Amino acid sequence: MKLLTHNILTSHVKGVTKGYPLLIKATEVRVNEVEFNPQFVSRMIPKLEWSALVQAAEGDLPSSLIQDYENNEEFLRKVHRVLLEVEVIEGCLQCPESGREFPISRGVPNMLLNEDDS
Amino acid sequence: MEEAASQLEREHVHSVYEKIAPFFNDTRYKAWPKVRQFLLDQEPGSIVADVGCGNGKYLHINENIFKLGCDVCRPLVDSAWSQGHEVQLCDGLRLPYRDGCFDAVLSIAVIHHMSTKERRIRAIKEMTRTLRVGGRIMIYVWAMEQKRRKFEKQDIFVPWNPNPPSSLALHGPARGPQRGGRSQNEGEAADSSDKHRKVRSTSSMVDDGDLATSQQKSQRLWFFSRSLDSVLDFGSLSVSRSSSREISTLCTPSDETNGPKVGWRCPRGKGLIRQMSSLFSSSRTSMEEDVFETDLQEQVKNEEIINSTEGNEAVSVGLLQDCTSVPLPDLVSYEMEQSNEMRQKENNGEKQEDDTPKQQESTASLQGCEGENEWSREKLKDSCMRYYHVFREGELTQLIENHVEELHVLHTCLDHANWCVIAEKVQVWRI
Repeated sequence: MKLLTHNILTSHVKGVTKGYPLLIKATEVRVNEVEFNPQFVSRMIPKLEWSALVQAAEGDLPSSLIQDYENNEEFLRKVHRVLLEVEVIEGCLQCPESGREFPISRGVPNMLLNEDDS
Repeated sequence: MEEAASQLEREHVHSVYEKIAPFFNDTRYKAWPKVRQFLLDQEPGSIVADVGCGNGKYLHINENIFKLGCDVCRPLVDSAWSQGHEVQLCDGLRLPYRDGCFDAVLSIAVIHHMSTKERRIRAIKEMTRTLRVGGRIMIYVWAMEQKRRKFEKQDIFVPWNPNPPSSLALHGPARGPQRGGRSQNEGEAADSSDKHRKVRSTSSMVDDGDLATSQQKSQRLWFFSRSLDSVLDFGSLSVSRSSSREISTLCTPSDETNGPKVGWRCPRGKGLIRQMSSLFSSSRTSMEEDVFETDLQEQVKNEEIINSTEGNEAVSVGLLQDCTSVPLPDLVSYEMEQSNEMRQKENNGEKQEDDTPKQQESTASLQGCEGENEWSREKLKDSCMRYYHVFREGELTQLIENHVEELHVLHTCLDHANWCVIAEKVQVWRI
């Protein structure tokens, strides 16, 4: 699971109103090399929940978006790395409200709900 | 209803795809051109979801957009991940994505696996929720009206044979095992350079039909089912207490009252299909539009309706039948005989005038089927039955227009064996 995906995922447990963002508990993380496309990254940024990304990035990103980021290659590269290169292979995602855990195994988050929590 | 629907899908969609997942990769090929184009048309930096992505066949298209896929089938999702795609395991009715996060959504050959109208609507609504305003969704579903063959019913079970007869080798070594569901409706158009594929046709049914003739003649290519909606839709009609009782009786494990039926001799007679079918055959017959007037005369009303609709296709047939070289007999009449029998048992001897001629007919068909039993049972044992609700012309569009107000249909077409709809999410203002 890449952190860009994490930014989109939310807990959909029944009754939960604040299921976003999910807490990441990773036991295995991988960093891949992914081709850098500045236009792609800069177009992606406005679609993200920035604070959730900062939280997931654990210190690698500034807490607020810098001005004129579209032209700041260094910044874009940092964002690129966080969004697309860091990957959680094993671990789980935890609903911030219910505590329900969604396992991540072999890189794939299992967001299936049981009868009782949907 | 919900439980019956999800159980049906679990048995005849999810678990089947799990079994046939290994074969998908053998026969994967390029995307439908229209779907491909839809993806290529997305602006760079778009985020696109493929809901029901299978093994991720669309996820590699257009490297300037971010795609993620999801599916309920673990082996297929794992396979997609191993190709380098971002995928999740989830249910189309409860998507784990925040509102309005996608620029586009794909639903290719997915919602036709949902067993009730309500679930199909819910699936579309869920996808719409995750779409941003101005974003577009593309939906593909199997069409009832196909070029070479017309399904006679909308709710069907389609067998998938993982062990095709050796005569399939005729069609070329690259074939491998018989194609699975998705591939069945994505045949010829996609790749003209692929000669093997040209041998096959697009329609799922005719795919099987083009194969070894013995298989074609001996194996029924699909089976009637009855829409769960018509049987269990308690909301739209005044279902009598007695028919509810009937249904609950049938749902219990002991269904001796149903008696022997065509097709139950095969080992697959057990399980949900049988239960569902027995349910269908003894409850009231109807289309979804049937309305019963009152409680009081319910039993009599049922019989009247049976008699009046016998002549046409109005009665959906719920029996799963052993397929044979004998063409599918008039199961309408057989079913009515069964329902009549049932009613007679419960009502102590109310008579049906048309019993005799129908009985003769159905007896003959019974005998015909019995004769072929051995061979077809073998075949059936090997096949996984997938549930499909095939769509009539305009049905999908209507579904969206009537039930999903946030979607505005932009484009509809028949793409080979599929109805394709593209719709845009609009802002809905409530005053």
